[in-house]
Amino acid sequence: MKNDFRLNYPLWMMAFILLLGVLAFGLNSPITEFVNTETETSVTIKLEALEGFVVFCSIILYFAFLVIFMARLKKHNKENPTQKISPLAIRPPEYLEQDEGMTYITRKAVQKVYSFITLALPFLATVVIVFPLPKLAIIYGILAIAFGQYLIYYLEIRKHFKEETE
Amino acid sequence: MLRNRVKELRARYGFTQSDLGKRVDVTRQTIAFIEKGEFSPSITLALKLASTLETKVDDLFWLEGEEHNEK
Repeated sequence: MKNDFRLNYPLWMMAFILLLGVLAFGLNSPITEFVNTETETSVTIKLEALEGFVVFCSIILYFAFLVIFMARLKKHNKENPTQKISPLAIRPPEYLEQDEGMTYITRKAVQKVYSFITLALPFLATVVIVFPLPKLAIIYGILAIAFGQYLIYYLEIRKHFKEETE
Repeated sequence: MLRNRVKELRARYGFTQSDLGKRVDVTRQTIAFIEKGEFSPSITLALKLASTLETKVDDLFWLEGEEHNEK
């Protein structure tokens, strides 16, 4: 159970969110040129050296993570044919609901996440309304909330598994 | 809080948490949560546990503060 892919799923999502944050940094400061004339319609995005390097590295890393993630997912599905995870499922695959005990700890974790979201989203919305923030700061705010929800869920589930004894 | 003798009776029968979990159709972790008093099982699961451990439900589980006669 400790090696159950669903337990580590939030960690994977946190890693993807961090990579998106790095990618957002690289993509947020390009020089964009939009040309729309009778003879030409084009959008030119110029990346500076550092931003270009950051974007390139984060995309490479993102796909590397994606390949490893899919391999782990495939391994999990092979080892747990009754509890397969679909990468396209709408229902969060990190939910542990194979029996009433697992459902109970999942519910506790989800309640904590819900409490966090109900505070964090209005807070972010208020900050964005009141302060003239750049686009990157807003993106980071959204990513921070997404990261936070996975972190809260992971820590709560891990807490229950930490002290269990045979 | 619900107290229980699951750990004690499980040990008496020589079951591991996994063994007992398999017998009552739950995961090992759920047995661990019940033993720690972290989770109160449903009536169905309590009945299954009592049946597997060959005892009565009210001998296996009792409310904290209520008298419980050790057998």
